[in-house]
Amino acid sequence: MTLSLANRSITPKSNDRRIAGRRLVLGTALALTAIGATLVYAAQTQVFDPQTHKWVEYDKKKARKYYAAHNEVPEAFRPQMVKFRTAEVPGTIIIDGNQHFLYLVQPGQRAMRYGIGVGREGFGWAGIVRVGRMAEWPTWTPPAEMIARDPNAVKHAAGMPGGPDNPLGARALYLYERDQDTIYRIHGTPEPWTIGLDVSSGCIRMRNDDITDLASRVKVGAKVIVLMQGAALYKGV
Amino acid sequence: MHNRFRQCLRRMSLAALTMLAAPVHAADLVIAMPNWPSGQATANILKVSLKQHFGLDADVREMGTLIAFAGLDSGEVDIYPEVWLPNFDSLVKKYVDGRKTVDLSPKGVPAAQGICVTRETADKYGIKDISDLADPKKATVFDTDGDGKGEMWIGALGWSSTSIEKIRAKSYGYEKTMTLLQMPEDMAMAAVDAAAATGQSIAFYCYSPHHIFELHDIVELTEPKYDPAKWHIVMPSDDPDWLSKSEAPVAWDASHFYIGFASSTAARLPKVAAFLSNIDFTAEEVTEMSYALQVDRQDPAKYAQAWVANHQDRLNAWSK
Repeated sequence: MTLSLANRSITPKSNDRRIAGRRLVLGTALALTAIGATLVYAAQTQVFDPQTHKWVEYDKKKARKYYAAHNEVPEAFRPQMVKFRTAEVPGTIIIDGNQHFLYLVQPGQRAMRYGIGVGREGFGWAGIVRVGRMAEWPTWTPPAEMIARDPNAVKHAAGMPGGPDNPLGARALYLYERDQDTIYRIHGTPEPWTIGLDVSSGCIRMRNDDITDLASRVKVGAKVIVLMQGAALYKGV
Repeated sequence: MHNRFRQCLRRMSLAALTMLAAPVHAADLVIAMPNWPSGQATANILKVSLKQHFGLDADVREMGTLIAFAGLDSGEVDIYPEVWLPNFDSLVKKYVDGRKTVDLSPKGVPAAQGICVTRETADKYGIKDISDLADPKKATVFDTDGDGKGEMWIGALGWSSTSIEKIRAKSYGYEKTMTLLQMPEDMAMAAVDAAAATGQSIAFYCYSPHHIFELHDIVELTEPKYDPAKWHIVMPSDDPDWLSKSEAPVAWDASHFYIGFASSTAARLPKVAAFLSNIDFTAEEVTEMSYALQVDRQDPAKYAQAWVANHQDRLNAWSK
């Protein structure tokens, strides 16, 4: 069975919009019973069912259901080596928030591709930064603006120790612009079903196994390109 | 006879030393280097060539075109390897024709500029002409943020071509259907890479010679031919109302880029000026340079050494 994803259908999609949609082939035995046959609009990502030839939403609810049924994210969001022709040097990270993919450029015009969760609309950003430092099971300290808007963050204002419930997960790659911390991170998550969705506060989240794998392959100083396409807000960090 | 020979030899040695020593001090020449790969390659090739053929030491310093031209005008910069026309027509008018402080080599490299899509975008969605971008339905093919408008890169902040692409988008009408993105070239090219890897559609400002045409199957959108009567460009540096006063609903004129050098340098080092005026890089050579630096990640200085070593016949011809 082959399934496809189309992304960021914030507005209801007409047929034309679907033709225009970005379709990523999922070579997976994704059970559509888990995704559901009903169409619910106004979500972030769509999954194409080739049997019914209909697009079904891949929203938070569907993502949870799928994960509960398979203990896995859809295959497209699992780590895989893909063909990737680029002028960027191996070791560079390219983040395509629109399609929810992070590429780690490899030699031979290939890349290791991982699924990611990205910022909610309004928190999107883009730019060229670098990995300033990395940490294992990092402490999470919510930024002041998050504390101001999210009452749940207040109790962690002094910092939440690393661990399985910590929002930063198993590893964090701290993104710097020159020598300045941008406050954005590529990090793990205790909520792996959120991969493929627009949920975070501008950070890039990955499954804990994936961020651990990525951190083992990346060097401090690596160039990180966050693509502008799909970024709701370009801050240029 | 023997003494006369020794005296003669001594005189020749002194003369040779004088010839060598005169130009050999810090920054005999300053080469301004653009931030795009072929310009970086050319700047380094010139540095190696000038050392090899004229014994001159050159400093290669990265700087933008406006600053480079100001430097050529003041004499702080000697050479700028890629002066793009018609992009920098206004600078040429000011410094080459007006103040006569900058010379251009007579032999330009043919170049092209326009809007490109991937082959898959053209074939799958029938987007082949620039007017397709102004079609609201077709423009949604490029919508990545769900606002109903497409997104496209029109160049980096500060490029003169970026201002002209804004004018062209207004003139063709796709400024209403497409969000025009300005960002560093690395980000734009990585977006093309990601789109090509996943079959996603993408439209973007393109110029050649450029390595992107070697990396991916790229198609330039067709446009009405350049018509000087319809090409009215006012640049932001010349008028705050530049956009409303400009109109360009036609393709770019055939572009060329030239080596620029300070007139004062030409007077000081006429053989160097003659050498620069003889250089006739081909578009294929420039594409190879771009690919070598940007895709193969060759060190510009080492690449230049190898290029000069492998093209001695051409350098000898340019030196005559």
